[in-house]
Amino acid sequence: MASYLAQFQSIKNSCDHVVIAVEDVSDLWPNIKSRFEERLPFKRASLNNKTRNPVFVENFPAEFILTTDSRLRSRFPQEQSLFWFREPYATVVLVTCEDLDEFKTILKPRLKLITQNDEKEWFIVFVSRAHPSNDNAVKMAKKVYAKIEVDFSSKKRERCCKYDIHGPEANFWEDLESKIMECVRNTLDRRVQFYEDEIRKLTEQRFMPESLAFMFEMAHLYEDALREYDELELCYLETVNMPGKQRDFGGVDRGDDLAALLNPENKPLAQIVQDDSFREFEFRQYLFAYQSKLLFKLNRPYEVASRGYSFIIGFSQALTLHENMLPFCMREVWVITACLALINATASPNYDGLVALEIEKEFFRLKGDLYSLCRVKFMRLAYLIGYGTDIERSPVNSALLSMLPWPKPLVWPSVPPDASSEVLEKEKVILQATPKIKHFGIQRKPLPLEPSVLLREANRRRASLSAGNMFEMFDGRQNSSDGSASDASSRMPLSNKMNVISMLRTNSSPGNFDGSVDRPMRLAEIFVAAEHDLKHTISDANLWKALSSVEEFEQKYLELTKGAANNYHNSWWKRHGVVLDGEIAAVCFRHGNFDLAAKSYEKVCALYAGEGWQELLADILPNLAECQKMLNDEAGYLASCVRLLSLDKGLFSTKERQAFQAEVIRLAHSEMKHPVPLDVSSLITFSGNPGPPLELCDGDPSTLSVTVWSGFPDNITLDSLSVTLTATFNADEGAKALRSSTATILKPGRNTITVALPPQRPGSYVLGVLTGQIGQLRFRSHSFSKGGPADSDDFMSYEKPTRPILKVFKPRSLVDLAAAISSALLINETQWVGVIVRPIDYSLKGAVLHIDTGPGLNIEESHVIEMETFGNISQSSTEMAKSNGTQNNCSPSYKKEFQQLKLQDGRIEFPAWASDTNSVLWIPVRAINDKLPRGSSSVTPQKQSNLDGMRTIALKLEFGVSYNQIFERTVAVHFTDPFHVSTRVADKCNDGTLLLQVILHSQVKATLTIYDAWLELQDGFVHTGQGSGRPTSDFFPLVISPTSRAGIMFSICLGKVIGKDEAEALQPESILNIRYGIYGERTNGAHPPVAVECTEPEDARQDLIFKSAIVLQRPVLDPCLAVGFLPLPSTGLRVGQFVTVQWRVERLKGFEDNGISEHNGEVLYEVSANSENWMIAGRKRGHVSLSTNQGSRIIISILCVPLVAGYVRPPQLGLPNVDESNISCNPPGPHLVCVMPPALSSSFCIPP
Amino acid sequence: MATTACFIIVSRNDIPIYEAEVGSATKREDAAQMHQFILHAALDLVQDLAWTTSAMYLKAIDRFNDMVVSVYVTAGHILCICDFKCYRDKKTGENGE
Repeated sequence: MASYLAQFQSIKNSCDHVVIAVEDVSDLWPNIKSRFEERLPFKRASLNNKTRNPVFVENFPAEFILTTDSRLRSRFPQEQSLFWFREPYATVVLVTCEDLDEFKTILKPRLKLITQNDEKEWFIVFVSRAHPSNDNAVKMAKKVYAKIEVDFSSKKRERCCKYDIHGPEANFWEDLESKIMECVRNTLDRRVQFYEDEIRKLTEQRFMPESLAFMFEMAHLYEDALREYDELELCYLETVNMPGKQRDFGGVDRGDDLAALLNPENKPLAQIVQDDSFREFEFRQYLFAYQSKLLFKLNRPYEVASRGYSFIIGFSQALTLHENMLPFCMREVWVITACLALINATASPNYDGLVALEIEKEFFRLKGDLYSLCRVKFMRLAYLIGYGTDIERSPVNSALLSMLPWPKPLVWPSVPPDASSEVLEKEKVILQATPKIKHFGIQRKPLPLEPSVLLREANRRRASLSAGNMFEMFDGRQNSSDGSASDASSRMPLSNKMNVISMLRTNSSPGNFDGSVDRPMRLAEIFVAAEHDLKHTISDANLWKALSSVEEFEQKYLELTKGAANNYHNSWWKRHGVVLDGEIAAVCFRHGNFDLAAKSYEKVCALYAGEGWQELLADILPNLAECQKMLNDEAGYLASCVRLLSLDKGLFSTKERQAFQAEVIRLAHSEMKHPVPLDVSSLITFSGNPGPPLELCDGDPSTLSVTVWSGFPDNITLDSLSVTLTATFNADEGAKALRSSTATILKPGRNTITVALPPQRPGSYVLGVLTGQIGQLRFRSHSFSKGGPADSDDFMSYEKPTRPILKVFKPRSLVDLAAAISSALLINETQWVGVIVRPIDYSLKGAVLHIDTGPGLNIEESHVIEMETFGNISQSSTEMAKSNGTQNNCSPSYKKEFQQLKLQDGRIEFPAWASDTNSVLWIPVRAINDKLPRGSSSVTPQKQSNLDGMRTIALKLEFGVSYNQIFERTVAVHFTDPFHVSTRVADKCNDGTLLLQVILHSQVKATLTIYDAWLELQDGFVHTGQGSGRPTSDFFPLVISPTSRAGIMFSICLGKVIGKDEAEALQPESILNIRYGIYGERTNGAHPPVAVECTEPEDARQDLIFKSAIVLQRPVLDPCLAVGFLPLPSTGLRVGQFVTVQWRVERLKGFEDNGISEHNGEVLYEVSANSENWMIAGRKRGHVSLSTNQGSRIIISILCVPLVAGYVRPPQLGLPNVDESNISCNPPGPHLVCVMPPALSSSFCIPP
Repeated sequence: MATTACFIIVSRNDIPIYEAEVGSATKREDAAQMHQFILHAALDLVQDLAWTTSAMYLKAIDRFNDMVVSVYVTAGHILCICDFKCYRDKKTGENGE
């Protein structure tokens, strides 16, 4: 079998293409060989795979070999079905013949002989040498070829083709290729069938699948080849795991530690073989190597990595099972070399961009995993050698190493002799290694890098063999190193020597080996022993170099870490990648490369902080802070301190947290030259007070209280603090900062800060940013705490607070001032003017009212101003009425308040009770009017003018927190006399007595009582009789209800006319005097005048005097002229027709009694008419002479033309110089006359 | 056998919102970080795996030597992650690799 294997290997290595045999019957091949070989490799081939499905192969390689060639001849026909795959796949028979007889007698039998072998796939190529110009020869060749076709081609299969040397037909090559392919395909199918049958028959025969696989590979059917190898692997694993089939594992040869999983030619196959199977160690690697080779050929490096990773894991487990037979740490070394080999093999940039993004990601991830695995094993080896102090005790390293079991060799390596200097050296290193002190004095138990204490593990493993059986121990070692005698021999003496040395040292139990074995090894000794053993295990010079010194170790460690990190980053496994970045940073940090370290640490911190993994952040953040401190990056360092402070309180002790704060304060107050901005959002949070927002009216200042949570462990003094308000309605408007004026001390936890709030524009506001300063440090916090107590988790919300803290309402009326009554007050008397003050949901606390009276109105400053609560008057009056009659349950709920106030400099201050309730202010005023009221009569009608009694009071109310709110209103108050007087002559008696009726109209809403009335008559009138002009007093007191009337009769008669000069001294008009009293409520209107000094009892009557002027005119009894309108013509008026309008003027009195101014008896007349209606011809105005004698008369005629039809007012005659009272119109002129439309004019009618 | 497990609930934006360590073993000082580290690293796998399957229980998605990480993903993509020690047959040895 071994010989076959050697042969198989050599065959596999030598041939990698399909052979096509050429049976050169007529010695033609040398002539046409070059042309045939030009066609190789075939561009395209169609073959069947194992499942008989067609597969297209491009660039199919093949070789033409003559059957007489030694390569084919030397073989025994069908000697080994095992190597059948190298036999020709097709046989091309080359013939030529120019003579039919020759064909029949010689060629045909020979061809029959060649083609009778069924195993061969053959076809005949007839080569025609006839020149195209030689018709005879061409004909002959055709005949022969036809004969051949008849004899050898069948209906099923064309087996002939013709090749013309002097110019082959165009489709000859295609024909040839298809024929060759047909043959190859048939042969392949037949052989596949054969191998499959064989495999089925001989399940023990393990070579057939590989032969088949190799045949596929030769045919470039890599997929099928790979499948065969996979099957082979399965078969192998089945047998190898069968109980009772356990065989030698292998892997103890020198160089076996170097993984050969990508190197199929690592060892000759013959060496792996053992009895009827193979050593697992080599054979599995061998199989994987072939698989990966095929995968690379298929351009699927991703699969190499993927399969490789699982292969390494699986194989590593297999190594674990046999660990006690393998050299020390063989498993670790093999994994390292395997990973590196895979990484290198798949690292070619040619593979990039060939595959889908998903696969590419996965590819990177696998490479990251490979790097990571390699890194772990490498760290483990380094730790065993004693480089543990140089391995960062980070969570990742700790997690990787502390759960990874120690290697389990049969016996832990012992210290070699003459290694005492090395031991001393290691010991020195151990002693010198000082545990790294973390910044800020943070004390943490270092994370473990070992699954259990190495010292104990190593010593236990040594002692695990019963100490008494030293020979057993050596036996065991001999067994374990079976197969590599050199290895065993080199070790044995070492152990012996070591024992001698240790015996000399200890002397605990002389003469016995046990004591020396029992003496525990020290750590340094363990390191040295491991180093020595590893030196034997590791055959890779590079790997050993990487472990030879701390510097080399670090370099390799960095290389592996970077590789893993980069690949993880490329695969979007950012967490894996970033964590490894942290490891790179740790190395940079140790070498003082703080800049790079800080950059990497920042990435790690950003990831942990972003995802809120605080415990991990707490581990790494102090390192970053230290880097930043070293780099003098004050802003960064401060930010890191703040972040440390804002981490969960449980993660650091109070002392450590105080150290962070101390750093912040130290920097803030001393070192920094320029102010440094700092975001402390995570440390200082703030919120408005819970509950509804502060509500303010437009223009009101206030104070705002803000709750600030401090995350500092101690009190901290803030030099200044301000908080901004942001309007929610308008984003354009910048936030307004509210400053807290004094330095603030924040104690840990909750603080309440109060800031002054100047008037804001209307709208609602939310808290924006909290800013402040500590020394040179300008901090700001955006973080809006939910306002909850500290136990609500420190979950930071970067969302903007939505709850408004302040609402400023739009300007609205906050108060209303109005006159309490609308009815008139008494003029010229002191009256109460009521002003109702109505606060509208706004406090009038401390409000000040400025009162300014208009012209004609005075405030009685000597008198107090009264203020009382005000209920709706109408309501209260009805309520009162109700309460009198029925029940008393609807009494007003408010308390009645009353207060007297003093006016100072035109202003009064409101009492406290008036701040929220409606109140009425009673101001004593007096309206002045010097004019004497005039009575009215038919002669002098009353002029309706209220303006006379109108007075204004300007009111200005200042209120609000800082008198910032101002309300101004001018109140109009109406004043009037109590009465309006009108007179008429009730009757003219025959004896000349006139009855003068004086009608008194009450003007006020109060009851007036007349106690007395008298009339002082003007010149020309006298009271009848000897009376004083007073009416009969029995009627008094006369009570007049509000707005009603009363009348008084005076009997007067005309008196003598006094001379002109005397008349001037006398009064021109009569005066009516009325003494009256008034009963009224100030809440209704006019009321008794306010007594300046309220000494009088309530019921004391106050008599008032009212005076009114009355004009009396002597009656005109006899007119002196009479004017009469003469009748119009009976035909009526018609438009456009002249008409004469006539008036007759007649003198009724003689000249002597003349009150009329006339000039020589001439009378001035004037005709007035509407010019639209009338056209007047003649003089409209002029004098006519009228005799001054009584009874003289004259007619005035005017020619008029009416202009419009209808009822129109006729022209009127006036006598301007004569007083109207002297004219008697009797009969009076008509009001309207009828004017007919114009008559039809026939001259315009045109007959049809 | 004294063992410890860590259960953690991770919000949609990968922030741990609940953490509980259960088990009979005395709490190691460094264990908290270790658990956090292992669970945090497992998020990388969850992010890849969660969208490829309709199952909510992702079973053991990650192994860290003898620590097994198992994940349940809620409909709202809140993760309930648990890691615990998995003691295996001694013969198979380490199973993390």
